[in-house]
Amino acid sequence: MSANTERKLADGSTISDLIDLERREVQLRTLADREIYEIEQDKIFGKTWLLLGHESEIPDDGNFIQRFMGDDSVIVARHKGEVFVSLNVCPHRGMKITTQDAGSTSIHKCIYHGWAFRSNGEFLGSPVADQCMHGKIRGKDELGLQQARVTLYGGLIFATWNIDGPSFEDFLGDAKWYYDMLFCRSDGGMVVAGPPQRFVVRANWKAAGEQSAADGFHTLMLHRWLGEVGNYKKDDGESGDLTPEMFGAEVSSPHGHALRCIDLNRKIRRLTGKDPEELSVEEKLRVLPPPGMTADAFTQLKKNLSPEQLEAMAWMPPQVGGMFPNVLFGFVYIPQADGSVVGSMTLHAYVPKGPDKLEFINWIFVEKDTPPELREKMVMQTIQLFGTSGMVEQDDSDTWPHMTLTAKGPQGRHSTMKYQAIYETGKPEGWPGPGIVNEGFTKDDTQWHWWKYWHALMTAE
Amino acid sequence: MTTANEPVNFFEQCADEIAIGSDVYNQALGFYYAEARMLDNLRYMDWVETLTQDIKYNVPLRQTRLVKDNEASIIYSMRHMHEDYRSLMGRALRLSGNSAWAEDPASRTKRFVSNVQVFETATPGEYAALSYLLITRNRFDDDHFDLIPCERRDILRLQDGVLKLAQRDIILDQVLLGTPNLAIFL
Repeated sequence: MSANTERKLADGSTISDLIDLERREVQLRTLADREIYEIEQDKIFGKTWLLLGHESEIPDDGNFIQRFMGDDSVIVARHKGEVFVSLNVCPHRGMKITTQDAGSTSIHKCIYHGWAFRSNGEFLGSPVADQCMHGKIRGKDELGLQQARVTLYGGLIFATWNIDGPSFEDFLGDAKWYYDMLFCRSDGGMVVAGPPQRFVVRANWKAAGEQSAADGFHTLMLHRWLGEVGNYKKDDGESGDLTPEMFGAEVSSPHGHALRCIDLNRKIRRLTGKDPEELSVEEKLRVLPPPGMTADAFTQLKKNLSPEQLEAMAWMPPQVGGMFPNVLFGFVYIPQADGSVVGSMTLHAYVPKGPDKLEFINWIFVEKDTPPELREKMVMQTIQLFGTSGMVEQDDSDTWPHMTLTAKGPQGRHSTMKYQAIYETGKPEGWPGPGIVNEGFTKDDTQWHWWKYWHALMTAE
Repeated sequence: MTTANEPVNFFEQCADEIAIGSDVYNQALGFYYAEARMLDNLRYMDWVETLTQDIKYNVPLRQTRLVKDNEASIIYSMRHMHEDYRSLMGRALRLSGNSAWAEDPASRTKRFVSNVQVFETATPGEYAALSYLLITRNRFDDDHFDLIPCERRDILRLQDGVLKLAQRDIILDQVLLGTPNLAIFL
């Protein structure tokens, strides 16, 4: 769509005016503007697939949780084995159907006038049936809770209001090949350790969103404590260098998905004392199995993944990245003081709560078959590094609000975020995976592709 | 959920209540005042000295649930913090280092401790202590305070005549935490 037919913002500019496609710059105003926020509610959060949780949060019929799709509260419930996502708004007078975070019930009854609904959103009836509170103008089949379109992927619950839009598979595109390696690699599947952590950050959701599209560089500065006093400090206590962790392959997507596939060779060399080139894929995956898995899980990996995926898994597995628009994943291999490695599996959603506020939701996962001792180590480590009190992410949640504040300045709003560290490499030699892939030290391409998709959706008809 | 919630056994450990104003009570109160002063003045390494080596330190999640499901409003299968001595020491070291940006510049905090009740337990020299804590947290130019009201359920242990913190469970009042992180100790 050309800029001159685009919808105008109040000051006469268009969304396209905010993005310099040639120079790869985005005006800071995008991180604070209410008008842009409101367009996003429709064009982004009304259109794309959104992560709401995991089916292990609602294992039994009648189980439900309350979650958000953009500014809308929804009920995510299990009914006859299936997962349904219903708008949490009573069709009668607009009261919330549930005010609870979670629970179990076969009938959701609105506490205002008593209209009742099944877990799949179907309208059951109103009280005092012979007085017909719901009238005769609309049939009962018209009075159910509005239904979102739902898909399950690796047990993760995604939903969209875009009922006739692209399938979830189309939405993921080439990135699915990589996500499969994370979410669909075991026989038992992933399970949540518990309900998610939730907290508020006074920043625009995109400050977190664009970072989730595989911002590697920030690790070196914002998280440099990891080298100074954290898990990456040297054995002799000297400050460790984080730059080797910046090497690998980065996967971009025309749909804004992003994955940093980080080279495991150094860790494998440390664990085995051998040159990783001399080890087979199986040997490497047994020495350093994916987070939550043990050496004997190799047979599961072999069954669930292709030989090409196994090769990438043993060499440069996806470790951090995101899924457009507001999901971050961290499936990382964390070095321990005793020389071993313990993995973490975490997913975040950055739910918009107004132009200058986001809700940070953090789910921590284990594999269903993760042995109890490893499971406890993983969950504890993940809580200590990521999410509310996470020593890594507490620095992020203190940084994003400053960006939203600077975006409010009359000069600052026209300042730009720059994505000009550009790959000139292409895929690693022999890389087995699809997509836009570049090798080497982290760059800005993945984040730039995130913004390009944001731009495409925001300017779509 | 795949793990059962850990039972909150704190109240089962509370035996006879220790009289307000008695020596042990005053000692406990002194512990809390000293602790608040240390933490409000960024003396993290001094604070670690007040912990026992086998400390268990938890901040369970909260959920909004019906009254009949009230026990499920405190969630232990996932927590905001799940710490032992080693991890608390790690956090204190990080905060004492050069790059803990979440608390550098530091928040200005006040820890208001009140409603202190102390109980004997089955173990001589160990006391169960229940208290309310209100933390006010202010950062940068914020014209608001992040308020963190909570209940502390502690086990205090006498070691060489000095009380140390052996267990702490922090029961938050907020489900959706209104502060951007828990980079501070509660």
